[in-house]
Formats: sequence, C-alpha cells, structure tokens
Amino acid sequence: MAFKLSLGQYWPSESILHHLDPRTKVGGALVIMASVFFVDTLPRLALGWAVALALVALSRVPAGKVLGSVRAALLMLTLLSVCNLLLVRSGEVLVSCGIVTITSGGVRAAMLYSLRLVVAVIAAALLLLTTTPTELTDAFDAALAPLSRLGLPGHELAMVFSLMLRFVPTLADDASAVIDAQTARGGGLAEGPLVKRIRSVVPVVAALLAGSLRHAEDLSRALDARCYEGGAARSHWHPLHMKMRDWVALASMALYVAALILLG
Amino acid sequence: MSLRHVTLCYGSGPGAVTALDDVTLRVRSGERICILGANGSGKSTLASVICGLLAPDEGEVVLAGERAMGPNGADLNAYRRARRRIGLVFQNPEDQIVTSIVEEDVAFGPENLGLPSEEIGIRVARELGRVAMSGYARSDPARLSGGQRQLVAIAGAMAMEPRVLVLDEPGALLDVRGRCGIMRVMEQLKEAGTTVIHITHFVDEGLAADRVIVMDCGRVVLDGAPEQVFSQGDELAARGLELPFTARLARALRERDACVPWTCDEGELRAALAPLAARAAAAGGGPRAPATSHCGDAAARVDRVSYSYHGADGRRALEDVSFDVARGASVALIGQTGSGKSTLVRLLCALEAPDRGRIVVNGIDTSGKRDRRRLHGAVGYVMQHPERQLFAETVLEDVAYGPANRGLSDDEVQERCARALKLVGLEGREDASPFRLSGGQQRLCAIAGVLAMQPGILVLDEPTAGLDPRGREQIERILDDIRRSGTTIVRVTHSIDAAARAEQVIVLSEARVLMRGTPEEVFAPAYENVLRDTGLGLPTALRWAMALGLQAEPLTMEALVDCLVGEAV
Repeated sequence: MAFKLSLGQYWPSESILHHLDPRTKVGGALVIMASVFFVDTLPRLALGWAVALALVALSRVPAGKVLGSVRAALLMLTLLSVCNLLLVRSGEVLVSCGIVTITSGGVRAAMLYSLRLVVAVIAAALLLLTTTPTELTDAFDAALAPLSRLGLPGHELAMVFSLMLRFVPTLADDASAVIDAQTARGGGLAEGPLVKRIRSVVPVVAALLAGSLRHAEDLSRALDARCYEGGAARSHWHPLHMKMRDWVALASMALYVAALILLG
Repeated sequence: MSLRHVTLCYGSGPGAVTALDDVTLRVRSGERICILGANGSGKSTLASVICGLLAPDEGEVVLAGERAMGPNGADLNAYRRARRRIGLVFQNPEDQIVTSIVEEDVAFGPENLGLPSEEIGIRVARELGRVAMSGYARSDPARLSGGQRQLVAIAGAMAMEPRVLVLDEPGALLDVRGRCGIMRVMEQLKEAGTTVIHITHFVDEGLAADRVIVMDCGRVVLDGAPEQVFSQGDELAARGLELPFTARLARALRERDACVPWTCDEGELRAALAPLAARAAAAGGGPRAPATSHCGDAAARVDRVSYSYHGADGRRALEDVSFDVARGASVALIGQTGSGKSTLVRLLCALEAPDRGRIVVNGIDTSGKRDRRRLHGAVGYVMQHPERQLFAETVLEDVAYGPANRGLSDDEVQERCARALKLVGLEGREDASPFRLSGGQQRLCAIAGVLAMQPGILVLDEPTAGLDPRGREQIERILDDIRRSGTTIVRVTHSIDAAARAEQVIVLSEARVLMRGTPEEVFAPAYENVLRDTGLGLPTALRWAMALGLQAEPLTMEALVDCLVGEAV
C-alpha cells in the first residue's frame, strides 16, 4: 500500500547468523556501526566492506532482499555523497566549470564517507533481517535487566518495545486505509500551500488516533486473557544461552577491530 | 462454571446502561454451548465475565471451580487462578496476536504461565498441529489470512491448556472458508473434552452446539437444545435474530401448505421433502428466469488491466482483467482473500492508475492524476469496516466532510447531509459523537458520509461484515433504495447468497477474472467444482435443489420453495 516499512522485516532461514544469540548480534552490530567512523583510509574501507559482504553471505538472505531493506538509506547516502563531491574543496582541481568545481579531495570524501556508512547500514539491516522481534526483545530485556534489579520496569519496557515492532505495520495499513477513504471523499492528504497541507492532516490523524485506541483496548484484553502479568514469573521458550559459536563470533569481532587499528 | 443472579452496569447515575440483568447460567464440564444474540444484547459483556476479565456489580460467579465472586465481593486471587484455566479468542484477529512469528505467539501464553522450555515446545507443536497450521510455524501472522490468524489465536489459547475456551464472535470478520475452519476446530476441541462457549450471531453455527442460549437486553431469554430453541421462530425474530436456513425453508414450505415437519435438522427435512422433490423433478425444470441484459452505456469499463504493488516481487495483484459495468446495474465481485478484489476496487475508485490497460469511469480515463481527482466523489467508496474511518466530533461534521471538500455552498452541504442521514435512518442524531453510536449505527454514519457525495457509482467492500441479522437487513434495504434511484452498485462480498441476488457476478481468482455473467450463468451445477476450488461455492438454495435431485436451478430460497410447491398449490 502507500506505506511499506522495512522495520522488523524478519527473513526466516537457518543460517549461522540466524542461530546466533541475539545479544551477540546486537553487540556485534553496534561494534560494526561504531567502527565505521574510524574508517578513513582505503584499506580500512576495504576491510569494512569485506566484513559486510561476508556477513551478507553468511546470513543466506538473498542479496536483493538486503538491498531492498537498505534502499531508502542508500538514497540518502547518495545525496550526501553528491554534496561532498560539490562542496569539499581540497587537493587538486579535477574539473572546473562555472560554479561547479570538483577536487580530488571532494571525490575522495564522496566515495569514502558514503561507502563506509553503507557498511553500518548493512549491519543494521542484517540484524533486523536475521533476528525475530521476540529475540530482539529478549536481548533488549537482557540489556535492561539491571534496571529491573533497581525496581524499574525493565521487562515491561522490553514488552512495549516488542509490541511497538509488532504494531508498526498494522498502523501503517490503517493509515493507508484512512487516506484512501478520505481521498475517495475528495479529501486526503492535500498538496499545495503549507497551511492547506497541515489542515488536511487533521482528519487523518484523528481517525488514526481513534484506531490506535481501539487496538490498545483489544490488545489489553488479549494480554489479560493470556495471563500476561509482567516480567517476573515469565519463563522463556528459548532461554538465551551463549554457545560456542557466540564466543567465536565475538572473537571474530575483536579480530576485526584489531585489524582495523593495525591497517592504519 | 456457574453464574447466579449476575448484574452488571456500565456507567453510573441516570446514564447507566445495564449490560447484564440478573443472568443465571450453569455450564457443565465438556459441554459445547452457543450464546446467540443481536448486537447490544450483552453477549460480549457476558463473555468477559465468563473469562474472568470483568467482575460484575452483583451476583455470584464460580469460574473453573474457583469461587471468584460471592456475597462478599470479588476475590482477585481466585480470579487470577481461574483466568489461567480459561482461554479467550475474540473477534479481531489483528489485535490478539502479540508477536510477529506464529510459533512465538503460540508460546506467549505458556511463557506467561512460567512453564519450562521443553514443555512449551511440546505444546506449541501440538496446538499448531491441531489447527493444521504447522506449516506456517515460522511465518509472519501479518501475511496470513484472517481465518488462518484466528486459528493461530485458538492455538495460542489452547497452548495454555484451558478447561474452558470462550470464543467471542470468532468468525464475524472472516469469509466462509475461515468460518468453516473454526467450526471444525471447535468440533475437535469438544471431542478432546474441552468446554467450548461460542458467542455468535450466525444462527446456523448454533446447530452444532449441545445447548443454545439466546440473550436479549442483558437477559437470557431462551435456553435449551438447538431444535427446541429454533422451533420458536417468532421469539427469535423478535430478538433480532433469524432462523437457520433449514428452519427457514421448513417454515416457508409450511406457509405454502406443504406437508413437512417443523425441523432444523437438514437430513430430516430432506427426507420429508423427497416426495415433493420427486414430483417437482418429474415436472421438469421450469424455464430459468431470462437473464436481464443491460444494453446502453457502461458506467465503468475495465479493459485489459494489470497492476502490481511496488516491492511485491513482481507478483501481479491483477492480470489482464476486463469487464464492463452497465449503468444502473448491481454487480457482485466475489473471490477469495488475496484474489485481487481489494486492488480492483481501489482502481475502480480511481485511487490508483493501472500499470497496463485502461479503466474508464463515467467516460473519464483514470490514468491522469487530475482526472482521477474529478472522479473522487462521483464514485463513492465504502471500504471494509468504514466505521473505522470516522474522525469528526459530531455525526453531521463527519457526513459533511465529503460535500464540503467539493466546495459546495453551505446550504447545499446541509441539504445533502440531511438527505443522506435520512436515507440511513440517522436523522435526529446529527449532534451526537460518532464514537458514541452503536456498532451498526457507526457503520450507517460512515455510509451516509459517502452517500452525501451523491455518487453515481457506489463501490462497497463487504458492507455487511460483522453486523447482526438486523443490521445486515438494514444495509440491504438501504442499498435497494439507492439502486432504485438509479445508482450503479459494485459490491465485494463473501456471501454467495448475497451475490446470487445481484444482476451481474464477477469471480476473481488469483489476480484474473475466472468467470463473469449473470448469477444464473455463473452459479450453475456444472461449475460447482471450479467454484469450490477457488474457496467459493454454490448458493445454499441451489445446493439443496441438487441434493433433492431437482432439474430446476433456483438461486434463492423463495425460488426453491416455488420449485417444490409451485405446481402443488
């Protein structure tokens, strides 16, 4: 429909990446995402890309699917790289035509800064593609466990996070239905002057809000009926256990970081 | 489980609504009970009380052996213990699934009970197997049909091993195939010894129960075996319910002085009809009603249309679809979930342009954005559950939204709103909040909002889904009125019996037009298998005629009665 969100688009498969402990995956993804900001030379960039491509291969998620879920981010990065190309003025001048001046420094910035961010985007996409929302919640739960010990609602926050992932597509469907209905009545999201646009949003948001309240009411009934009473007494079908492969994965991450530093 | 003198009111003071009024009910272990009632009869409140989700104001409640409420008020701990032994499945499959993977969702309840991991694994596999959904264990529920999602919800409730399973209108939002699937599972559960309490307004579903209870105005008005309850037709009609098809047929035949017993047992009536059927068959099939053909200009012309959604992996939502809709005709669009009906409707309403092919509505091609905008309003679109689109503070404001968008004068807007509200019978409620109306009235209000645009073509997607018999009848009556005033009606429906009353039927299957023609052409015995393969079927009356060996092919119950006793009278 009008909105297609890639958030929480799990791709079922039996790859080693799918079987890793979600805590390992979240940790690994965070390390990769942080590490790209230290990529500033070609060899380091090559290493980052090698790791990203290796992970895509290991995940056994079709390349097209990965590409699909990072498309929006790629578009942003392309824009960023065009800006870099035109605005960075350092090194020797390659092309100069009117106000457009392209320098070797600009080319380097355009390539490097965008390409290294692609690595981070791929890592994030793979995390969502290979980890079910429930597993993500479990990892989140584990991370928030210290909060629970302090008497704060750590488990409940994790549950809210999981329900949010679950309901994003539902609300997106609701939104497109509301817009359809109002468009068919000569309304819907308007184009033109800003004031007119803002006014046209009000009926859409009002209908969506009413819908969200209805979902919330139903959902609370469903949670009650299934005896959800907060975190403490719950058990887990698949309790989290760090296995050999998780330690191997973490060691590989450490190796990657070490190599990144040494490559300098 | 038992309730004694249970009373429950919503709100307080003079505005209080009594939802349950002195209800006394005993359910034996292993019984299968069907609670029938129109919308607003208090049956959903009763479901919440039985599930232990709502404590009544007064009365005694014993749930799954726990004395949850006595003369001294509610015992919350007893309620909590009881809830663990009672499962609930309710209307909307969308809102009762809490995770994005089928098996994880089934595991959610057992996890809440704090069961060990191995036990959870065993229960998840067993329950998914029971509802025949093992193949979808790793799927995303959002990709399943409503019926499949409801089966997942049942599996999720059963994985907690409840002694009682309460199903609150589980089929209200489903198609025929989905409803059949749920009825089958209920049968299995009863055989396995689970107490099943089924709340519904589809009377035909009550036939399979051990005991039927009819609710009205918060009271139990009838309670007994199905044949006993359904023999009181007038009583049921007064409560806003209809009779099962078999009982209605028997009643109609008796009114025509045919010698048949009063029964709601299909086999018994069929046996009693055998002599009549033999005579009718010997008399030969009467001539079928000549097909009404519409000449003249087409209100809408769909010409070799294909369409696919972005990112749908190249799968087409519509493939080479062509048909004409004659002006003033009533067209039924049928097909299974996912056959492309909704997409076709969006294209017809000019919300989107086809990828290939042309759609011309009222002489306007829908490929240009500006042309599409001209059609909005000229084509009225009542989408599924239109009441979910209500947004304004008052009924009048909501209905006026469309005409006001057209830039009409205030007087014109007022006049159109008044006319639309009168048409749906909501005059006098202009200043009410649409959210305070009853479910059926909300739907009428949303339909009025579309009618106020005075569309020449009205497209409706399942306009009667989720309504009780009274509400359904009301919508049918309104549609008849609109049609008589010359409006073309295109209606998406799951109900084969409703489609049989249209002038033209279009059957969609897997993005293509499978069949189209008059109901007589489409619903012919020869196509029974084709229709069944696409998850559809023949009209009930025709199935009866075939089972009785009649030559004639009646599509409605009235026609069937004519076939059977026409010559005899």
